[in-house]
Amino acid sequence: MIPVFRWVEVSDIRKMARSTYELSFPEPESASKIGPGQFCMVSPAPHTSDVFLPRPFSYYRVDGPGTIRILFRTFGRATRWMAGLAPGSRIGVFGPLGNTFTLAPQARRAILVAGGIGLPPMAMLAGRLDALDEPPEIDLIYGEQAGDRIVDVGSDLPGRVRLHLCSEDGAAGQKGLVTGLFRPLIAGCDSPPAVYCCGPGPMMAALAGLVSSENTALFEVSTEENMACGKGICKGCVIPMTTPDGSVSYRYCCTDGPVFNGFEVKWPHA
Amino acid sequence: MAARLTVDCLGLSFQNPVLVASGTFGYGDEYYDIMPFSRLGGLVTKTVTAAPRQGNPPPRVVETDSGMLNSIGLANVGLEVFIREKLPWIVQHAGGARVVVNFAGFSVDEFIGVGAGLAGCRGIDALEVNLGCPNVKAGSIHFGADPATVREVIAGLRGEVGLPLVAKLTPNVADIAALAEVAVEAGADALSLINTLPGMKIDVKKRKPALGMAFGGLSGPALRPVGVACVYKVYRRLQEMGAGVPVIGIGGIATGPDALEYILAGARLVQVGTASFVNPLAAGQVVAELAAWCENEGIGDLSELVGVAHHGGN
Repeated sequence: MIPVFRWVEVSDIRKMARSTYELSFPEPESASKIGPGQFCMVSPAPHTSDVFLPRPFSYYRVDGPGTIRILFRTFGRATRWMAGLAPGSRIGVFGPLGNTFTLAPQARRAILVAGGIGLPPMAMLAGRLDALDEPPEIDLIYGEQAGDRIVDVGSDLPGRVRLHLCSEDGAAGQKGLVTGLFRPLIAGCDSPPAVYCCGPGPMMAALAGLVSSENTALFEVSTEENMACGKGICKGCVIPMTTPDGSVSYRYCCTDGPVFNGFEVKWPHA
Repeated sequence: MAARLTVDCLGLSFQNPVLVASGTFGYGDEYYDIMPFSRLGGLVTKTVTAAPRQGNPPPRVVETDSGMLNSIGLANVGLEVFIREKLPWIVQHAGGARVVVNFAGFSVDEFIGVGAGLAGCRGIDALEVNLGCPNVKAGSIHFGADPATVREVIAGLRGEVGLPLVAKLTPNVADIAALAEVAVEAGADALSLINTLPGMKIDVKKRKPALGMAFGGLSGPALRPVGVACVYKVYRRLQEMGAGVPVIGIGGIATGPDALEYILAGARLVQVGTASFVNPLAAGQVVAELAAWCENEGIGDLSELVGVAHHGGN
């Protein structure tokens, strides 16, 4: 669908975990047509912030009728500005942008792996996969560095989705990395599952090392890179891809992605 | 009565003075459903080079205070694909907007070859010469930084190309008015100024440059005072020369008043650039704000304001 740029008023902002917030805003026309993996660009209203460029955020939840939620974590200037927003604050929203995850994975089982603030598209994907006429069995692995950053995603997930939590400090879920939870899950699959992933570059690169075309029916990742426009114009957000002859080939995170075939991404790209 | 926004420039009539700058509106199709460039004075395309270019390694863009740095590396589809696939669509959808094709070369011969290749295409109203490109044969110094190469490129193109030629100048020189003079003497029909300023941001956390290529070009509101000063200086020099060559103002324009600064400094046309990334509707809003401002101020014809700041205003 055609993306729309509009000024909207923040409906709600809530702290979900340490440094982590959920921002809600209305999106009356496009909400029902947004796919998992797509994103929007969020910018401040003129003269309300020293933030200049818009920033990309994956959609987290799209509620009927027409409310959108994104999750963000304070990291730099833009997310600190966002953490200070309140209901009624005006923001610019441009979306939906980018492609979506494959929703017909041709697999009986789907393993979704979310690292840190890579959670939103994985949570949305879990819901959409579960809503299919013939849904796969769904496992969602979600890990954080620190347990106090774990977002309580369970209450938002369909009951059939199996949630596996881990944290590096062991304060919530199993102590360790998402790859530690992933290994036994994929080893226990009767047939190759679909694997979907969104998280920090090193985490996705580590996961890419555990999957192959033999043990996986589909491997899709959601990528991120600095971008100015979100619409293929600034040519800023290139993701290096592997080519048969070993040369570097660039694809654009915003319009070719953000979802790519994980077997084609040149890891680690970050 | 609504003010007249139409501008005569380069022997052409522009329906309003607001164009979108090279590299900030792609080939017109990406934003067309959101902000059709047909409502604007014109579209300046992404820079076209002879061969397709993948561009530089990431990160290519980073925010700075009131601006951004980019090191895209002139990523583009190349002349052949541009002519075959991009240009026909642009021409078909231009409506009343003018089509300006921005191009570059890495040698004088390449500049002239690309210019000549474009000159034969239907539907192009003018060519904008991107002189902010490294001259590979001369130690990669920018063409625009050296008066001799500016003269060589523009005069060479002038000999081959009948279309209006706009020389886009870089501000990274000691005396931009001297460069402007050279470009005009060599046959440029108009001057676009300014291109980005070189800059760098260091990622303190990672202790290294934030951009993959370390250096980038600064654009956005931070650039506006520099651009306005360059337009003011060059306009004055052109007046002194008695050259009726128009100036196109670029650099940090996001609103009607921003555009008016450039017009009052001497710009006949303006280009909206980085602002389109922040708000794809920005260029259309600049047109609307110019119209509203003229109406409020009782200005019947916006062209009357060009260079007025040189005469002490009102």
